[in-house]
Amino acid sequence: MDRRAELERKKQKLAMIREEKERRRREKEAKEHEEIVTRITKPDKDLRAETEELLSSLGIPLGNDGSLIRSLNATPETSLSPIPDQSLTSTQSGTGLLKSSRRQVKLSVVSVHQANIPPKESVTYNKQTQTATSTIDKEAHPLDYYVEEEGEGCSLPSNDSESPALYPRHHGPHKVAGLPKIEMVRPAHVAEGDNPLTPGHADLQKKVTGTQDLSEEEKQQIMMSEEFHSFFDKASRIVERALYEDIDICVDYTGIGEEQEGDDKSGIRLSVNRCFVDDRWSKNRTITSFDWSAQFPELLVASYNNNEDVPHDPDGVCLIWNLKFKKTTPEHIFHCQSPVMAACFAKFHPNLILGGTYSGQVVLWDNRSNKRTPVQRSPLSASAHTHPVYCVHVVGTQNAHNLVSISTDGKFCSWSLDMLSTPQDTMELTHQKQSRAVAVTSLSFPYGEFNNFVVGSEEGSVYTACRHGSKAGVMEMFEAHQGPVTGIDTHRAQGHIDFSHLFLTSSIDWTVKLWSLKESKPVYSFEDNGDYVYDVSWSPIHPALFACVDGMGRLDLWNLNNDTELPTASVVLDGSPALNRVMWAPAGHQVVVGDDAGKIWIYDVGEQLATPKSDEWTMFMHTLQELKNNQVDQDLDALTSLSSSGFSSGIR
Amino acid sequence: MASEVEETLKRIQTHKGVIGIIIVNSEGIPIKTTLDNSTTVQYAGLITQLADKARSTVRDIDPTNDLTFLRIRSKKHEIMVAPDKEYLLIVIQNPSG
Repeated sequence: MDRRAELERKKQKLAMIREEKERRRREKEAKEHEEIVTRITKPDKDLRAETEELLSSLGIPLGNDGSLIRSLNATPETSLSPIPDQSLTSTQSGTGLLKSSRRQVKLSVVSVHQANIPPKESVTYNKQTQTATSTIDKEAHPLDYYVEEEGEGCSLPSNDSESPALYPRHHGPHKVAGLPKIEMVRPAHVAEGDNPLTPGHADLQKKVTGTQDLSEEEKQQIMMSEEFHSFFDKASRIVERALYEDIDICVDYTGIGEEQEGDDKSGIRLSVNRCFVDDRWSKNRTITSFDWSAQFPELLVASYNNNEDVPHDPDGVCLIWNLKFKKTTPEHIFHCQSPVMAACFAKFHPNLILGGTYSGQVVLWDNRSNKRTPVQRSPLSASAHTHPVYCVHVVGTQNAHNLVSISTDGKFCSWSLDMLSTPQDTMELTHQKQSRAVAVTSLSFPYGEFNNFVVGSEEGSVYTACRHGSKAGVMEMFEAHQGPVTGIDTHRAQGHIDFSHLFLTSSIDWTVKLWSLKESKPVYSFEDNGDYVYDVSWSPIHPALFACVDGMGRLDLWNLNNDTELPTASVVLDGSPALNRVMWAPAGHQVVVGDDAGKIWIYDVGEQLATPKSDEWTMFMHTLQELKNNQVDQDLDALTSLSSSGFSSGIR
Repeated sequence: MASEVEETLKRIQTHKGVIGIIIVNSEGIPIKTTLDNSTTVQYAGLITQLADKARSTVRDIDPTNDLTFLRIRSKKHEIMVAPDKEYLLIVIQNPSG
């Protein structure tokens, strides 16, 4: 009995559920149907109503649309609520449009993507021909002259006397009888005959068509001919004699002319000398570091990041360029599998080039081998680096030198160049206060120092450290930058006063700061840049001169003896690429700049700017003293304002 | 014989300071050049005219005379022109090296 009751109940429930389902389905269908119908008809109506309103507002009378709308309105759509229709037709542009816009789901603002693909430039000859002048004064038989096509205003000069209409322009090239003309008169006729074009231009045009006259075979034939040979014999003899005479007849011993030139030159403080770029290997790769060869001062090694456009090419490329010769291809091409972050010549081995890569490997290339891949590689193990190696240097003397590499996990490794399988010595650079290691982005050894060095880190602080000794590791911390330190350089110019305690740092916080190892606060902060400053470099010969580059394509040269507020010379590169690296040539008269498109620019620095005078060192002493005094003054001001006003003012 | 021409040209071309060599015929059409096309065309046209004018000047003053060598010295370059009845050899040099 119970079971039957239960079954009954269950059956009832099922029936109820089924009924519910049916009901719901029916409702849904009805609703959908309604919606579809409303959607279909309403937008049409809205569109038409809208257009009618718009057009009527513009004053254009309608006939058809109005009737259509009326007919639409007339169709009995009882399922639709008539209220919206009425409101549509009754109201004017404002609400009607609103309602129509609300229901016009399909209309939307589409942003048109405009792709500007510049047409591929193909070098073509200018096919416009022009009547060439007759220069043969010997014969009167017809020669090959081409009548110009439309667009040219010049006609055969010899035909000026005849009517030009005889040779209509639309005929295209055809042979015309040329009149014999004496050469000497030709220039005068040209000037006369050209109305729309200037005489010079017309002559050029003639010459342009002239190049079309001789084909390669004809040229070769001419060069084979006897008379050409005899001509060339005589002419080349004379020319060679003239060439070998080295006499400069325009020498000015009074020096007046030279002074004028000097004025010009002083204006040209920074000028582009050349640009090194290799389409195959350097294009589209950011330049990550530079180094000069110690043995051959014209050789420059540049390391490149990877090229995202070409994933199949090796990620890391290192090219050696030669400044002495005019050739535009690199001397040596090296590559490896990971982007090269830092590269240097092995100072005491002229054939070896070292690279530090993004994967943490230190690689060694040898330019004696024929391979472009590294001959030695450090292992990818925890004993070596596991983070990108941003700095590699060879320090020491001829007999006792090491390769030093440092990565962003604070690991400092010394290697022997013979064996890159394990580092000779490793050290973790951690500051005493912080437990975590210093993420080093740049490293520099002061001149003459092999033990102490300075590093810049990602946190914006600068540390001094030393390699050996009881206190090996980080010694001091200088905090001032608000962003990662991108470049650090220690003073190098040698003079009677030693400035090797000075170093410069550049950072993403748009500033370059001058520091002294003896002080914990920066001596001065250069804030003229408007973008991340990516690198800074002291001049090797001038004590107060340094260069810095930023992300807007600006190369600045600062002469601190001249002005500490603004750069003495500044230039923005063509196209404003972000400049990643800057370095002075060892001679001190050229600056090498690397950008993010793989181009290396060599800039000549004007003599007056680059060469230090004998008193530059003492002047720099004074400048430094002034800067220190200013700093002290500022600090005093800060203190007084702090004490007086009661709120902190951070000047630094 | 042609190789001699090439050799001599190469020798001149590699001389210190030589920027380029152009050989044109009397019509001003370049026959051989070591410079790019646009520069060649420009030089060929202008120098041919100038050489013609110079020659006419010399002959006007003395009809028995003739032009043997033309040298144009500017601040930046020196252009040497060796004319002939049929052809013209133009060498552009930077005298300071």
